[in-house]
This record gives sequence, C-alpha cells and structure tokens, in this order.
Amino acid sequence: MEDIIKTEDVVCIFNRGLPDEMVALRGVSVEIKRGEICVLRGASGCGKTTLLSLIGCMARPTSGKIMVRGRDVAKLTERFLTEIRRSTFGFIFQQFNLIRELTVFENVALPLYPLDSTFLQIKHMAEEVLGKLHIIHKKNAPIRQLSGGEQQRVAIARALINNPEIILADEPTAHLDSKLSNDLIDIMVNLNKEGKTIIIATHDPEVFEHAFINRTIFMKDGLVREVRTQ
Amino acid sequence: MFNKRKKIIEFALSSLLRKKYKNLAIIIVFSVIISIISSILFLTNSLKKEAFQLFVDSPAIVVQKLSGGRHELIDIAYIDEIKKIAGVGEVQPRFWGYYFDSLTDSNYTLLAIDSKKDKRLDLIKGTLPEKDGQCAIGAGVARVRLSVINDDMLLPLSEDNELNVKITGVFSTDSNILTNDLIVLTKGDIIRFFDMPEGKATDLTVEVFNDGEVATVAKKIKRMFPATRPIQKSELVRTYDTLFNWRGGMMIVMFVGALAAFAIFAWDKATGLSAEERREIGILKAIGWETSDVLELKFWEGFVVSILSFLSGIILAYVHVYFFGATLFEPALKGWSVLFPQFTLLPFIDTYHVFIVFFLTVAPYVASTIIPSWKAAIAGPDSVMRS
Ligand SMILES: Nc1ncnc2c1ncn2[C@@H]1O[C@H](COP(=O)(O)OP(=O)(O)O)[C@@H](O)[C@H]1O
Ligand SMILES: [Mg+2]
Repeated sequence: MEDIIKTEDVVCIFNRGLPDEMVALRGVSVEIKRGEICVLRGASGCGKTTLLSLIGCMARPTSGKIMVRGRDVAKLTERFLTEIRRSTFGFIFQQFNLIRELTVFENVALPLYPLDSTFLQIKHMAEEVLGKLHIIHKKNAPIRQLSGGEQQRVAIARALINNPEIILADEPTAHLDSKLSNDLIDIMVNLNKEGKTIIIATHDPEVFEHAFINRTIFMKDGLVREVRTQ
Repeated sequence: MFNKRKKIIEFALSSLLRKKYKNLAIIIVFSVIISIISSILFLTNSLKKEAFQLFVDSPAIVVQKLSGGRHELIDIAYIDEIKKIAGVGEVQPRFWGYYFDSLTDSNYTLLAIDSKKDKRLDLIKGTLPEKDGQCAIGAGVARVRLSVINDDMLLPLSEDNELNVKITGVFSTDSNILTNDLIVLTKGDIIRFFDMPEGKATDLTVEVFNDGEVATVAKKIKRMFPATRPIQKSELVRTYDTLFNWRGGMMIVMFVGALAAFAIFAWDKATGLSAEERREIGILKAIGWETSDVLELKFWEGFVVSILSFLSGIILAYVHVYFFGATLFEPALKGWSVLFPQFTLLPFIDTYHVFIVFFLTVAPYVASTIIPSWKAAIAGPDSVMRS
C-alpha cells in the first residue's frame, strides 16, 4: 500500500524567537498507509495535536516536509491548504467545536456553504450523513439541547459531509463515558471498512488497546519513539 | 458562485436573527444618529435652495428710506434722479407692506405687481388681479384662511373700514418661500389699504447693467439721497447666509458625524469580538471556510444592519424635515420663522448628500464589523484545536 501521509523531519516551533518559544515537534518522520487505522499515542503535551494539525493542513511546519497523497503541502498558500483540507480531511475535534446556537442540520451543512452546491444538494448530503449516524431525528434541534454523545455524532457527521478520504480525530473520547467511547470506536471501524484512512490522537487506553489498530505511533517530547504495526 | 453567495447571505441573515435584540438595538440607535445627520443636511440644503430662488429674481439694488432707523415711504420723484446715474437701467417703485391678520394670527405680505415680466407670474393658478377689488394669494394664506379661487377676502383696515377683494388666483406651492404669505393686490388697492400719500412708494428697485458696478451705483445713490439705504443683492445674500448659518450647519453635521462614528467605534472596541464570535470564526475556518468567505459573511452582516439603519434614518429625516417642519431644530431656526411665519419646506433631496451620509455611516460600520473578524480569521485554523 502507498503512503497516504508521509512526514519528513518535521519541526514545529511556536512563538519562535520570543521568550516563550516552544518546540512542539523536533523532527518527526512518519508514514501512514492508505486504509489504515493509525493511533498517535503519548502523554499530554508530547505534540500529538500539533502533528495532527500539520497533517490536516491546519498549520504549516517550521521546517520539514509533509506529503499528502504524494504532494508536499508545507509550502502551499492558504487557499490551497483550505482546498486540500476541504477535499481530503474530515476533522473530529476534542471539544466538538459545534456552534451551539445553530441546529444540528446547520452545523453539519456549514462546511458546504462556501462551495457552489445548491441548497437542495446540501440538504441531501446532510440528511445522508445524519441518517448514517442515527441522529437524523434531531435534525432541527439546536446543539445546546443535545447530550454529549449526540453532539459527538453531529461532529462526526460534519466531518463526513465532504466525503473525506482521511479522518483526523483528536482525543475523540476525552468527553465520553466508556459506552459512548465504544460506540465511537465502532463508528470509526465502520468508516475504516468503507475505505477511509483514520488517524486518532489519544492517550485513552480504551482506544489504543483496541485490536483494530493497524499502526501505533508512540510520541514523547516532540519526537517519535517507536512505531508498531500489526 | 451565485449559490455560494446566496448561502453566505442566508447564513449572515440567520446569524443576525440569532442575536436579534442586540442587532435591533444597534439598528435603532444607528437610525437615530443617521436621521439627525441627514435632517441637518436636508434642512440646510432646502433652505439654501429656497434662498437661491429668492435671490435669482431679486433686483440688484433696493432703495429704502430710513428715518430715525425706521423704514419710511420713499419719494417716487427720486426715480428720475437715480436713472441719471451711469449704468442704471430700469428703476421701479414697489408698493407693499406687512399686515398682521388677527383673525388667523399670522403675518401677510401685501404686494402690488404690475410688471408683467415678473418671474413669479409663471407660478400662478388662476390669474393675477387685473382691476381693483381682486387679489391673488399664496398657498400659505389660502391654507390658513381656508380660501379658494372666487372666494371673497376681507381685510379689515380700521374699526369701520375694510378692504373686500375677490380671489382670482392662488399661487402654487412650488414657489413656497416667495409666495407663501403673499397677497397680491392692484397698486390702487395697496395705496388705499396702507393709506399711502400721493407720490410715495414703499421702496425702489434699481436695475444695474453691469454686476461689477452695483457697489458704485449704491454709493452714488447714498451720496445723492443721504436719508436712503440702498441694499445690494449681495448684502442680502450675506444676511441670509448668516441666517441659515450654513457653515454652522456643516459644523454640526461634521460634529455629529464624527461623534457617531466615534461612538460606534468605541462601542465596537469595548465589545470587540466576544470569545464566542472568535470561536465561531475559528470553527468556520477549520471546517473549510476561507478567510475571504468569513469576510464575506461579516460584510453581509454589517451591510444588512447598516443599510437598514441608513434607510430608516433617511426616511425618518425626510418625515421630520418635510412633514413636521424640522420641529426638533425649531430653536435653531428662530430667525427664519420670524421672517416666514407659516413656512414649510419644499421636499428636496440632493443625491450628493445622501451619498455623503451613506459613506459617513454605512462604510465605517461595515469596516468596524469586518476588521476585528478579519484579525480573527487570518489566525491559523489550528487555534480551534486547542483552548
Ligand atoms: N499555539 C501554541 N503556542 C504555544 N505553544 C503551544 C501552542 N500549541 C501547542 N503548544 C505547546 O506545544 C506542546 C505540544 O502541544 P500539543 O501538540 O497540544 O500536545 P498534545 O496534543 O500531545 O497534548 C505543548 O507543550 C503545548 O503547550
Ligand atoms: Mg492534544
């Protein structure tokens, strides 16, 4: 299988040259293959979120290469980064990052607003993902009326509406009890079966002890310590 | 492109509706500010237009006679002397006077017009008086006396004498300031009404061929007849100018405008972007909105709020100035209302002024909504992955 993601010697320094300079990544080289479920594992502060946001074209590294489907994205302009982000990645954030006053439907449809699809097309796509995640009955409810588990499903539905090839999830179980955590893992496994590549950053044993994982990347202090595949 | 714009506008509207009370409050305050600014502009503009109309037709010099500071009747015999001055054209006597009508508690100007070339003739409905016992009246007079053409008009002279004239014409409202309080009579009726002695007139109008010689001619008249006061058109213009206080008006406009802009900016600074709004922008960026999409969204939000305020402010100002006679500014217009007791303004809107108000209000407001959002939007979308 080809590398869908490949990083070479990625360094990420925050607040460079300032007194609070922080080196979050000190030269990270990893490879993730198409169709894998990959876990970034490590203690809090080791750089998981930073690496995930670089892979997902949310930010640019200080130095090093980040190849997404064979293309180096490190030096692309913002417009291209946004384009790649939109067409390739679906994000599931640690704190769901939903807009609380909007309805479930609006939150899920929001990524499609700046595209040239019609409202009817958007409606179809949103209803499809909401149905898939069994949350369609709450379509018109505002987010603030939903339980934590329901919010998580909405967040996943939003990540899926662009039909992305790669799903990035940052500590997705941090706010869930163990039943909901298991539901989430099931959803991820199902998405993986559909062919999506999944990258999860976590330090939750409920996640990283699961048997479905193809690749575990152990991180510590901004460096990769070990990579295990199975 | 069109679908995208439509969806972003829809989202902007629904965002505004989500905070409807806050936005409604902004629109109300903003409308009031805009209506004050535009009231001042409309008002000064209308007054200027009126004044201009007034002066276009007025003679180069009006000669009055003064006695102990009081306006007196002038000898018609002066005319021949004045005509001898080089550069002087027609010299005409005018017969007119003010009359206070206790019945309606208002002031009229009674005037004899017999010069057929008078520009004011164009404005009449009906006819001017052709013989004694007829009159034409201004729209203001017609209104307060509830009179129409062919009605009789009784003007009491003394306890046992009165002038009874038939209304043959009513001036149209287009020439408001000129004719509003006017009653046009024949020369004979005016002389009888004001009991003017033979050989006297109220004042004289002097035509001067060359505008550059007006001042010299006025000086010569003054030397010839020291008891007279030759008033030049340019002096009149200056007097009216200070009366309107055009420059003062502009100062107020700029002051209010600056104050409003300042208030909006200060208010915006004080509230800034709430953590909530900042987070929302971060989320939009993270889920695939470009900075330009976010700015478009914010543009529409600011545009809708300010255009609504702008339109309601302009309408409010129009109603205030033209239907309620700018009652709020009454104290400032005291001088004007003494001269023209039943004065109503002609609706006149200068697109140039509307544009000034537009750029003074809509543009800064839109900028003040976009700029903070732009600052938040250019930050990398990865910020939402933390916090
Ligand atoms: N925007 C930032 N500015 C400064 N330091 C940051 C920023 N983001 C992350 N860091 C620091 O970089 C290090 C790695 O952070 P992060 O990638 O969030 O770790 P993890 O997700 O593994 O907990 C931490 O020490 C964190 O404090
Ligand atoms: Mg993290």
